[in-house]
Amino acid sequence: MEPQATGKPLVLVADDEAHILHVVSLKLRNAGYEVLTAHDGEEAMELALQHHPALVITDFQMPFMTGLELCVKLKQTESTRDIPAIMLTARGFAMAEDDLNPTNIAAVLSKPFSPRDVLAKVQELIEHQAGNPA
Amino acid sequence: MGIGKSQSLIVCVLVTAASAAVPLVGRLTTGSQIMRQAWMPYALAGVLGIIAAGLFFLLIGARLDGDVHRLRHYVQSFQDRDGPPVRCPPRRYFRALGSAIEQSMSLMHQRVEQLTSQRRELEIQVRVTDAERQHAEAILQSISDAVLVTDAFNELAMANDAAAGALRFELDGARHQPIDRIVRDPTLVKLVKDTREAGNLVNRRHVEHALGVNGQKHIYDVTLACLGNTQSEVAGVVTILHDITREKQISEMKSDFVSSVSHELRTPLSSIKAYVEMLVDGEAPDEETRTEFYNIIQGETNRLSRLIDNILNISRIESGVVKIQREHVALPAVVKEVIDVMQPQARAKNIELDEQTSPLYYQIYADKDMIYQALLNLVGNAIKYTPEGGKVHVDTLVNDHSRTVTVNVNDSGVGVPAEAMPHLFEKFYRVADHKKMAKGTGLGLNLVKHIVETVHGGKVAVTSAVGKGSTFSFTLPISDGTA
Repeated sequence: MEPQATGKPLVLVADDEAHILHVVSLKLRNAGYEVLTAHDGEEAMELALQHHPALVITDFQMPFMTGLELCVKLKQTESTRDIPAIMLTARGFAMAEDDLNPTNIAAVLSKPFSPRDVLAKVQELIEHQAGNPA
Repeated sequence: MGIGKSQSLIVCVLVTAASAAVPLVGRLTTGSQIMRQAWMPYALAGVLGIIAAGLFFLLIGARLDGDVHRLRHYVQSFQDRDGPPVRCPPRRYFRALGSAIEQSMSLMHQRVEQLTSQRRELEIQVRVTDAERQHAEAILQSISDAVLVTDAFNELAMANDAAAGALRFELDGARHQPIDRIVRDPTLVKLVKDTREAGNLVNRRHVEHALGVNGQKHIYDVTLACLGNTQSEVAGVVTILHDITREKQISEMKSDFVSSVSHELRTPLSSIKAYVEMLVDGEAPDEETRTEFYNIIQGETNRLSRLIDNILNISRIESGVVKIQREHVALPAVVKEVIDVMQPQARAKNIELDEQTSPLYYQIYADKDMIYQALLNLVGNAIKYTPEGGKVHVDTLVNDHSRTVTVNVNDSGVGVPAEAMPHLFEKFYRVADHKKMAKGTGLGLNLVKHIVETVHGGKVAVTSAVGKGSTFSFTLPISDGTA
């Protein structure tokens, strides 16, 4: 994890619903994080490769590449292998152990979600990371 | 009174004796030495004796012969089956024998009559049992479920056509065959055998089992029950296969639908919950942000509401519950109404919205509100997916030949990609590339399809090319005025 220019940890948020993207970004920014947004899996992958965020938050159902596919790809790629991910999904029950194994998904939150919970999880994961530098 | 062999012999002897005696008597009467012999009277007596005996035997023989003959005739008369028993003819010498034969013959005749009548009864019983069995088989055949009846030895006793079709065996010649030779599915055979072994005359067993029939997989609800006889022993097993493939399909479709619906509902709900929480947590420090949040919450609430309405409408139409109020409707008036309502939205995007309706006078027999809703959805879509400065045009065309009217909604918008075309009218389907362009429930077109096709017996159609725009149309029959 590389420190950003602003010194604040960077979080990448991916969701095809503009409102969700907006509310999560706002919550994280208000809490002192730098936020990048993406509207689909492909855009998210590109941004992740470019900016090496400390954490990725992604929706499951997205065009071009689902959130799960994105996380698998992130883990498979050398430079993004260690980035933890949080999955937000309305289909929380459909996530099986086997699905999550090839990814770095540290938590699955089901929609409707609470922005408070998301922030708490983000803080937990980033602090954990900070405690164990890559 | 015939002359038998023994009687002829006797006659010969007599004739010989007589011919010997006659010259002897002649000689005697001429007087001779022979007569004065001491043995002469014995000799004479002897010859006369032979003659007398011969005559005696002849007479008796004839009579005996006659009686024997009559008795034989009498016995032979029983070979003639249909003839009534004749009384024994009068006879002189074989009284006892005759009576004994008469009694026996009478008894035997009675026995034969008895056996004949018993056989007739049995024949009738067999016919009745046959008729009952045919009746049972006819009942079996009329049952559309597959029914197999096996006996206590697990051999096939009865089966209907449905069973032969489902399990693929020939009914002819299948009876009395062991069940494992007829049914190729080992699980099913084991079920039957196990049920027979368990011998439970009270409870039935229900099992779900899948079979491949003609390359298609069918799922059956299999019921197995033991048949008991009058001594409460297991006489066989009845196996019924009830096809629940369609039910399972429908159940799965319903399950999928519920799953899709809840997923769709969660999305606007997520926004509402998140923004409300943000407000509660004071994450909107200024009035502008708060107003933005309130608008989003309101918008998403409306979206949720529309979604639920659409789902209910479609659901009602699909289950035939919806109340349809048909009347004679002048289509041009409906078109004009829709255009008027959508004009503000079009203007907001600088889109030119106009109409051209056929001058011909005609009416459709339809539910006005539903047609209005369908047209509203189409025009709404057209505006949504047309960028700023585009055009949306509605026209109606009458086809006199087929007595139909077609409404076309044409736009200069983004067009539909080829791979999305077959799915456009499906529930919840949204073109992936267009999700960013506009919000949608994915149900609008599905509702249009149901209104036009399911309720009014019309047809929907679409032509489109990416970047060139689309034309969505529906065709309805024209009313001939008599409804």
